[in-house]
Amino acid sequence: MIVDINFVGLIIASIMASAVPLILASCGELITERSGVLNLGVEGMMIIGAISGFALMTVTGSLIIAVFGAMLAGVLISTIFAFLTQTLITNHVATGLALTIFGIGISAMIGKNFVGIPGKEFPVLFEGLKDTIPLLSPILFGHSIVFYFAFALPFITSYFLKKTKIGLIVRAVGDSPESASNQGINVRFVRYACILYGGAMCGLAGAYLSMIYTPQWIENMTGGRGWIALALVVFSTWNPIKILIGAMIFGGLTIIQFHMQAIGVRIPVQFLTALPYIVTIIVLVVISRDSRKIRLSTPSSLGKSFHKDN
Amino acid sequence: MNTNLKISNVTKIYPGCVANDNVSLEFNSGKIYALLGENGAGKSTLVKILSGVVIPDEGKIYLNKNILKLNSPSDAKKNDIGMVFQHFNLFETLSVFENLIIDSDEQRENLKEKIDTIMKKYNFSVDLDVPVLNLSAGQKQKVEIIRCLIRSPKVLIMDEPTSVLTEQETSELFLSLKKFSEEGILIIYITHKLKEVMQLCDEVAVMRRGKLVSVSQINNENIESLANKMVGQDLKKIKKKKENTSSEQLIKITNLNFTSEDPFETNLVDINFSLNRGECLGIAGISGNGQSELFQVLSGEIISNKNSIEFNKNFIGNLNPQERREYLMAFSPEDRLEQAAIPQMAIFENVALNNFKSSNFFNNGLINESKIKEHSKKIISEFNVNTDNIDLKSQFLSGGNLQKLIIGRELITSPDLLICFNPTWGLDVGAINYIHETLIKINEQNKSIILISTDTDELLKLSDKISVIHRGKLSKIMNAEDVTSEKLGILMGGGN
Repeated sequence: MIVDINFVGLIIASIMASAVPLILASCGELITERSGVLNLGVEGMMIIGAISGFALMTVTGSLIIAVFGAMLAGVLISTIFAFLTQTLITNHVATGLALTIFGIGISAMIGKNFVGIPGKEFPVLFEGLKDTIPLLSPILFGHSIVFYFAFALPFITSYFLKKTKIGLIVRAVGDSPESASNQGINVRFVRYACILYGGAMCGLAGAYLSMIYTPQWIENMTGGRGWIALALVVFSTWNPIKILIGAMIFGGLTIIQFHMQAIGVRIPVQFLTALPYIVTIIVLVVISRDSRKIRLSTPSSLGKSFHKDN
Repeated sequence: MNTNLKISNVTKIYPGCVANDNVSLEFNSGKIYALLGENGAGKSTLVKILSGVVIPDEGKIYLNKNILKLNSPSDAKKNDIGMVFQHFNLFETLSVFENLIIDSDEQRENLKEKIDTIMKKYNFSVDLDVPVLNLSAGQKQKVEIIRCLIRSPKVLIMDEPTSVLTEQETSELFLSLKKFSEEGILIIYITHKLKEVMQLCDEVAVMRRGKLVSVSQINNENIESLANKMVGQDLKKIKKKKENTSSEQLIKITNLNFTSEDPFETNLVDINFSLNRGECLGIAGISGNGQSELFQVLSGEIISNKNSIEFNKNFIGNLNPQERREYLMAFSPEDRLEQAAIPQMAIFENVALNNFKSSNFFNNGLINESKIKEHSKKIISEFNVNTDNIDLKSQFLSGGNLQKLIIGRELITSPDLLICFNPTWGLDVGAINYIHETLIKINEQNKSIILISTDTDELLKLSDKISVIHRGKLSKIMNAEDVTSEKLGILMGGGN
């Protein structure tokens, strides 16, 4: 069997495209979790981003307004979460779940008028170079700006956390909010900022789905990607570079599933959809065997509310 | 330049308790000041006010005659007040250097140079690149001190700094503090340990129940006078009577080993000892040398080889704590609120927890509440627990009262052996005295004690035999009369 080398390139490119929303949402959530906040509302924030982006694009006709509007929508909905968990000190898990349910519901309501409307074409970069290098060209060229941003993001995030002072403060707050507070760091402010940033990235991930990946609005179109993104953060042991690898594996599973069906290999779809979670659990079991490693990589205060005593 | 710190009429009221009642104090640089008091006397609140963590309801603070506004920890930092907390304010998963740079405005290179200078000057050696959780308590404290010194503070406040240190580390700390003081840093030293006050400080202020009771020169005081001021009454001196103990063997440990998969735990290597009825075996050591593992192996939280523990002529190494209690063993673990009692449960429920089988607390799976309550009241009155509300959640008991409740719960079944681990850790003098008396009393009733403790004075006071645990190995068993605290210190550090 002769495999067309460009066809392989195309498959890899499509895997990468399906990994984009996972990378964006996970990198956002990773920052949130590194500050000690567990926001289970990723799916909800993504779907709000998806409908906001699509609606703004249809109404205003401007892609730029739509993309930034989707991020703003993510910020707004995460502000609710931040207010509840940081100001009113509610439980992170319950609030996050509520946020997801809320997001799915409200996006369906707004989205009623946008069902069946065709999307717009999103401009791609370096299209002229598409046929220059075999195999690599389809991987490297002819993608949207969001695509390139997503693949740069893990490296930016890693640099931010390891090398910058603000990154250090975020890690410190996640490690021990009490100590951080006693050092004069405003824990609540840092956590607010991290939650809002996570919201923006989830909004962008949603907009990518409804404006670039499949340019249309379908109810519940995130289809559990938010949950995979959450699993991915754990899978990566809070390391942005590993998010990149994980997103490629998890994104790849979806794409391979299509191709396998095309060649006639029958693996139950349900099994493939469950795979990311199974893999995450296996990874969790493997890393929990090394208690030192898990202590060093997990934000110690994850999911715990912080009361400043006076 | 001289530093003058003045606290003027400071009051802080918490719901149901006046933590600081109109406290006024004045400090001058060049001296080391002790702030002495029992737990809950208000020392910690006062230093939290000085470090900006707590804002007082009334009163003012002056530094060199200028009024200070301390609304947050960063205000204290800005005004050159450095503070080393009792519970370290470090980020465990960050490296030492990251911990230091986080609240500094300096460039990486400058800061590194500054840290190097400080470490050379005071003879500190800490690896800057390892995560803090790899450090010993003494090293962690050095990191905290370096963090203060980087800012060249005028005032340095140390809150109970020696509670986690070894004798060796303590004397090193004292040397450094004296050096700081000579260099003009005003030092305020908070403690409830009288010996340290006498060793280190020039002036001492004593607090009791939120009030300042006395300020005096150390030359005019001695340990007894300070203790009486601190407690507010004359303390009984307790002394163990040396009697001829019986020669009947109660427990014998033979070749006991424990290997842990957790790198944070210590492996136990070839533990051998035996103990007669009516004796107290003290096990000394620096914390983290296997005490917690030894306690767990002895109590059955960790199960070992059946023949390794012989108790009352039965081999019980493979039994769990509940089954060991049936053979009349009793346990008082180190962490009162995590291991010994359940904080959210009422006193009487906690009392029921260790008495499943041989009690009539449960009928056909139902809780016999009135029986348990009756029993709890008996413990409370017999063991001086200062409350009459047995429905109170145990987390609201003070450390001393909770410890009395736990010891009472264990002893009321009159066990043959009590194994306790740091029974007086963090308690005030009054409660410590009570616990010590109780422990001596049960020895007199011909019952035995294994006392694992990091407090050398306590061990010398209560034990008949003493051994030292170091890196999971037990030294040979010595008679308590032949042992001095210096000798223990050497063994605790791994010497011979």
